[in-house]
Amino acid sequence: MIRNYFKIAVRNLWKNKGFSAINIAGLAIGLACFILIALFVMDELSYDRFYPDADRIYRVDADIKFGGNNLNLTVSSDPMGPVLKKDYPQVEEYTRIYASEGSKLVRKGNEYINEEKIVYADSTFFNIFPQKVVSGETKTALFEPNTVVISETAAKKYFSTVDAAGKTIDIDKKPFKVTAVIKDMPHNSHFHFDFIMSMKNVEYDWNNFLSHNFHTYILLKKGTDYHAFEKNFTQVLDNYVLPQAKQFMTGLNSMDDFRKSGNKLDYSLMPLTKIHLYSHRFPELEANSNIQFVYIFSAVALFILLIACINFMNLSTARSVNRAKEVGIRKVLGTGKKNLIAQFLSESALMAFISLLLALVLTYFTLPLFNNIAAKSMSAGSIFSSSFLPFLIALPVIVGLLAGLYPAFFLSRFKPIAVLKGKINAGFKKNTLRSGLVVFQFFTSIVLIIGTIIVYQQLHFIQNTNLGFTKDQVLIIDDAYALNKNDEVFKNAVLQLPGVKSGTMSGYLPVNSSRTDNTYSREAVMDPKNALSMQSWIVDYDYINTLGMKIIKGRDFSKDFGTDSNAVILNETAAKVLGYEDPVGKKLFRQSPDGKTTSYTIIGIVKDFHFESLRQNIYPLGLMLGHSNSIISFKIATANIKPLIQQIQNKWKALAPGMPFSYRFMDDAFNNMYRAEQRVEKVAITFAILAIIIACLGLFGLVTYMAEQRTKEIGVRKVLGASVPNLVAMLSKDFMKLVAIASVIAFPVAWWGMHTWLQDFAYRISIEWWVFALAAFIALLIALLTVSVQAIKAAMANPVKSLRTE
Amino acid sequence: MIKIKDLEKIYRTEEVETIALNKLSMEVKDGEFVAVMGPSGCGKSTLLNILGLLDDPDAGSFIFNGIEVAKFNERKRADLRKHNIGFVFQSFNLIDELTVFENVELPLIYTGVKSSERKKRVDEVLDKVQIMHRRNHYPQQLSGGQQQRVAVARAVVNKPKLILADEPTGNLDSHNGNEVMEMLTDLNEQGTTIVMVTHSEHDARYSHRIIRMLDGQTVLENIMV
Repeated sequence: MIRNYFKIAVRNLWKNKGFSAINIAGLAIGLACFILIALFVMDELSYDRFYPDADRIYRVDADIKFGGNNLNLTVSSDPMGPVLKKDYPQVEEYTRIYASEGSKLVRKGNEYINEEKIVYADSTFFNIFPQKVVSGETKTALFEPNTVVISETAAKKYFSTVDAAGKTIDIDKKPFKVTAVIKDMPHNSHFHFDFIMSMKNVEYDWNNFLSHNFHTYILLKKGTDYHAFEKNFTQVLDNYVLPQAKQFMTGLNSMDDFRKSGNKLDYSLMPLTKIHLYSHRFPELEANSNIQFVYIFSAVALFILLIACINFMNLSTARSVNRAKEVGIRKVLGTGKKNLIAQFLSESALMAFISLLLALVLTYFTLPLFNNIAAKSMSAGSIFSSSFLPFLIALPVIVGLLAGLYPAFFLSRFKPIAVLKGKINAGFKKNTLRSGLVVFQFFTSIVLIIGTIIVYQQLHFIQNTNLGFTKDQVLIIDDAYALNKNDEVFKNAVLQLPGVKSGTMSGYLPVNSSRTDNTYSREAVMDPKNALSMQSWIVDYDYINTLGMKIIKGRDFSKDFGTDSNAVILNETAAKVLGYEDPVGKKLFRQSPDGKTTSYTIIGIVKDFHFESLRQNIYPLGLMLGHSNSIISFKIATANIKPLIQQIQNKWKALAPGMPFSYRFMDDAFNNMYRAEQRVEKVAITFAILAIIIACLGLFGLVTYMAEQRTKEIGVRKVLGASVPNLVAMLSKDFMKLVAIASVIAFPVAWWGMHTWLQDFAYRISIEWWVFALAAFIALLIALLTVSVQAIKAAMANPVKSLRTE
Repeated sequence: MIKIKDLEKIYRTEEVETIALNKLSMEVKDGEFVAVMGPSGCGKSTLLNILGLLDDPDAGSFIFNGIEVAKFNERKRADLRKHNIGFVFQSFNLIDELTVFENVELPLIYTGVKSSERKKRVDEVLDKVQIMHRRNHYPQQLSGGQQQRVAVARAVVNKPKLILADEPTGNLDSHNGNEVMEMLTDLNEQGTTIVMVTHSEHDARYSHRIIRMLDGQTVLENIMV
């Protein structure tokens, strides 16, 4: 019996090659998309879970609102960790990471290489984040000063062997002893370090509760409720932070005072396993992802799978009606209803299984491409991981059952005589279920189209919005401090080159990087009400000019004024926080931790420019004249960039022998801030297109089916004089209605979804009505094209044939 | 009205070649009522399809109303057809989703007759075939005889010069069958040319002339008195 089913199934597949191909291909593409996205989502959810105590590890975060600034930090003060462990028995261990110094030069032979994945950590780091050891040991590895633990990659790079424990390595011209080599950290970790140096090497103004510079992680004892534990931070604030703050601010008697004047200092715990998806703070050790993406992609995956299943169901049903005669004959010959159902189910399961195999092949070959778009490094092997495999096996069975069930019951219900006489059409044309499914497919497609257009618009907006400075044709030379005293010589030498218009040496540029705030005040004595918390950037005379910023009040720094070393140029936001009618000429004060007060004269106001991502508002900023040589930027005007860079590099080599030369373009640095969005855009577009293709395949099948059902009607109408356009219009009309209904449902859903997404951006586009119209139009056009191909075919057929089937 | 000479039609599938019409020649004069008879597969239906401009011959000449139409393309044939020819089928071929009125109205829509004119003409013809009282019913709600009367009404609503009937009584009992034959005879007496394919000697007796076919050729002609 089973052999007979199988034989008929295979022959049927073969007989309707085109149909089978559409059906199998549609489901295979759907399944492949689903598997890819499922892999992506599982990978996103797996971050940091591999640490044995992952569910007990928390990061101490700080939320600060002070002097016009609003900061959500991933870092806390240096004594926070030790104090928590000392005062609260629930805290089993703490460890701190100090990453504020950024990249360092590591010596290899006569050459220095700029290493970015380099931090300091407490010796307890490996108690909380145990790592696989390749050589040496990590228990006491960072206990002594001048010790460093390096990754396998770093060991191979600098020592050409992983067996590097005990050797010495030169970091920023200081010798460090390698105490352990560890395996490279897994890709699904929220940090990846190649060098972890001993915290004992950090030069810092220790025991300062008011400066937040340390990523502090604590390990809570088993069974501790972390929300309950967070309440203890009030105590920490009163006992430790307040006494130190009082020294700075007059009139500050309690934390309540501080809050009442509109400020805030709160600590909270971020569970380790949530960091990757939920932490959107500053400064993150690495760029995180967003739970939104997981939700969006999960929804898209489910939708695509649903669309594919619906297609499969619709097409199978459609096809099986043509087999009514076979069913009739089988029934006449005595086949029971059960057997017929079994036959149809096994057939659709067979198809689903073939689709799955095809989907796996597709997944295998498209995974590298997907990894590329989604910036992942997932391996095809993980498809067969223990958690995914049962699901994978269940998938074709479920899809097969779902898809086969309807036709199976539908067909097996027929009375054999009626089937043999061909009277099965009645009641099958106006099927609300079928219409509902088509509406659903178009609903999904339209939502995806709208989403894609809006993501694209927002990204376009970001790239073209007026930033308040010019990001094009600016060449950035990083790590210019390597030039030492030659920095000015280098700058002037480059300025002589043709194609270089101007140059500036500075500490910071208006693309996001790790920066810190300082506190200033209107009066010489600070109180919480007159404070201004702002970033201060050390710049030179050519900064504003080179980067194309605009002075709207007062003047730029100038060599004609000898007093500019104590001058400051504020941005509009800072001026607004200070509240002066005309700030130019007014004073600004800063107290350093040792109690000294410095005063600055405001000489100008620069038009607000965006120096963080456009997700954030513009915060107070002050530009001060000085010498900071970490970055040199050149405004260039040449189409021939390559030879120019070569010339610049030659100058560098002459002035900073052995030091790494690294450059980038400001617009690239700017685009990097939106890489996550660009990824989402690419993925969204890819899957939107796929969803639409799958929906079209289904629609194509359905129209074929419908045309078949109406063959007789078409024939009669033709005999009576209907033209081909008449008939195409008639066949298309019904589908157009369905697309219209789908649009009406899709619009509010898409609007709500995209509105929510846009809230992430402080600077965003408004959603325009034409996007909806366009999406509906695209869907309509696609439907029309798909339908008309089949409709024209049906309409062109010789009516003699359709009428003869009677 | 119809003059065909050496008409050939061959159906080919991958392996089999079937000769449906083999150098067939015949003539139908204006106002004639001709019955075509013959065993299954002799080519009757093929002949009727070609006469109805639904199908084209592979060779030979077909002059319809003085015009050579054998080489006409689909559009020209359709145009000629909808203005000149009405069809009556054995299985009625009414559209289930349309009412009696709408079914009869269809040919008028396709020839571009105005709505008010359509209503007048449909009601007129429904009255003639005595089905007026069921004008808003659907085909399934009618008996076979009633359905065929609707089909006849649809065939004549455009006032065609030629009616082609393919076993018009095949699905009817003798009483209803006779009624339909009476209707066709009436139409013929009013001047419409009729070509009817039938298996029934009884029906054939309503005609002026019987053409008997075998293997794609006419073998005998009986002139009825």
